[in-house]
Amino acid sequence: MFNYTLRRLLTVIPTLLVLIVFSFYLMRLAPGGPFTSEKPLPPAVMQNVLERYGMDQPLYVQLWTYIKNIVFHFDFGPSFAQKDRTVNDVIVQGFPVTLTYGFWSAVFVLVLGIPLGIIAALRHNSIWDYTMTGLAIFSQIFPNFVLAPILVLLFTLSWGLLPGGGWNGGQWEYIVMPAIALGTSYMAGVARLTRGSMLEVLNAPFILTARAKGLPERVIIWRHALKPALLPTLTYMGPVFVYMITGSVFIDVFFSTGGIGQDFIDGAYSRDYSMLLGLAILYSLLTFTLNLMLDLMYAWIDPKVRSSL
Amino acid sequence: MSLLSVEDLQIRFRTGDGLIHAVNDVSFDMAEGQKLALVGESGSGKSQIALAIMGLLAKNAEVAGQVRFDGRDLLSLPASQLNALRAAQIALIFQDPMSSLNPYMTIERQLGEIVELHEGASRADARKRALEVMEAVRIPDAKNRLKAYPHEFSGGMRQRIVIAMALICRPRLILADEPTTALDVTVQAQIMALLDEIQRDLGTAVLLITHDLGVVAGFCDDTMVLYGGRVMEAAPTTAIFDAPGHPYTRGLLRAVPRITEGDVTLSAIPGSPPNQTAAPRACPFAPRCVDAIPACHDGLPEFREGRACIRPVEELT
Repeated sequence: MFNYTLRRLLTVIPTLLVLIVFSFYLMRLAPGGPFTSEKPLPPAVMQNVLERYGMDQPLYVQLWTYIKNIVFHFDFGPSFAQKDRTVNDVIVQGFPVTLTYGFWSAVFVLVLGIPLGIIAALRHNSIWDYTMTGLAIFSQIFPNFVLAPILVLLFTLSWGLLPGGGWNGGQWEYIVMPAIALGTSYMAGVARLTRGSMLEVLNAPFILTARAKGLPERVIIWRHALKPALLPTLTYMGPVFVYMITGSVFIDVFFSTGGIGQDFIDGAYSRDYSMLLGLAILYSLLTFTLNLMLDLMYAWIDPKVRSSL
Repeated sequence: MSLLSVEDLQIRFRTGDGLIHAVNDVSFDMAEGQKLALVGESGSGKSQIALAIMGLLAKNAEVAGQVRFDGRDLLSLPASQLNALRAAQIALIFQDPMSSLNPYMTIERQLGEIVELHEGASRADARKRALEVMEAVRIPDAKNRLKAYPHEFSGGMRQRIVIAMALICRPRLILADEPTTALDVTVQAQIMALLDEIQRDLGTAVLLITHDLGVVAGFCDDTMVLYGGRVMEAAPTTAIFDAPGHPYTRGLLRAVPRITEGDVTLSAIPGSPPNQTAAPRACPFAPRCVDAIPACHDGLPEFREGRACIRPVEELT
């Protein structure tokens, strides 16, 4: 297990290198640049600016400098568009915000989605099941950009219960709506997935064995059925959590939370090369960490996977 | 009083194609320590009888008749009392050891939870019992394999574990549903020998459900032959083999190779198993029977003197 984790961690390095090289050249292949504007700068000024950001050098030298700075100084460079801010600053300020409401959103997805799915499966084909499945389908078709305004309309404008935006150091009132808006459709997905896999597991021969042992239903569900029933949900949650973090762009903009989603959007508009590359590295590290955690959890649940590691 | 008494058992399934009459008017008795075989081809309803005794039929099943165990009617017993009997007094051995063990639990827990549940044993005692019973079914190096998971065992070893599970509480009745079907022939023989030994040690009654007459021959005192969910013939096993009294039994025996008889052509029974969507009105075997006469097609044959056939034994081919 330890060796496996170590091996996986070591594969990050080549993966990241490939990612950096590709993204670096791809971005520069796109027309325009951080300093293009409708009214062209005088050539002397432009030359100064380019020199200031090292963009007068050949591309491979720029790439080499970029990687060197990351490796030796953990410095992701200055933002090309935002004056006096480095990419490090932006990540340090914005990422904790996104991670905080992303985390609570994931908690909301799991704490609500899994029990709803299990209840629907246990009351299969009853009114509970139909209501739950109906609600799940209904909320799954609600994208966050539809749900967010509805939430604000209700909780802020009509009832005045929650602030309609801002962050305020991450007080809970400011987290609730972003977390719900971000998570609802995934929560519905988790509920439906859990329901389906629970139904399948309950029909497995080893559950019949458990019944033949005389175990009460409660023990059969908790001890015998839950683990295998949660495996598909686990598989689903790994990428979903990454989507939630990376796809939080709209939430950041709509609720003005100050998360990195806003910076990602701004970076794309202004061709802020260093910002985009820095955030891409951050997202890929996040994806990588989550996938590793997921695989380790898989091994923890499934002895067959464990013995193959 | 007999240990198990099944009377006029009917099992039907509501399906999209209508009502399936899986088991019809099945009656039999089992004494303590008796070894009875239920023989029939697939679809004859034999597994459903075992599930009905355990109260484990699928949700779309309708059951009628009586199943008395030790004087209590199992079909009307509340779930909690039925749970107290399961594994403690009546245990079930399933057909496929590959899928009937929980892949996510250690063998120790799967065995131990049974004694914890029924006898209130502690963790430590449950472990000791698990070890004992694993040694009883001769799992090599049992002590070091308590923490192993099902996928770490071969098919034969898994079936030994399933058998260990069935006997850990020393039940009075074991229902063995095709216990060797999923195994290699050599392993089959080992498992049957093991069952035989355990049965003798514990004095447990065994209801052996199988399609394999070869398995029955060496093991059971008595044999019941089922066809279309109906009892065709019931007799001591030796009588079934020496002088089968029903055309279906005869057909079955002609389809089994025997070492003693040299080169005998094996013959299959022509036709295919009956459609069970309608309640049977005539002998279900009549359409495939070489001895059928017109009278066979109207009216159910009465079950008399161990056979359900209107033709006298002497007239059968």
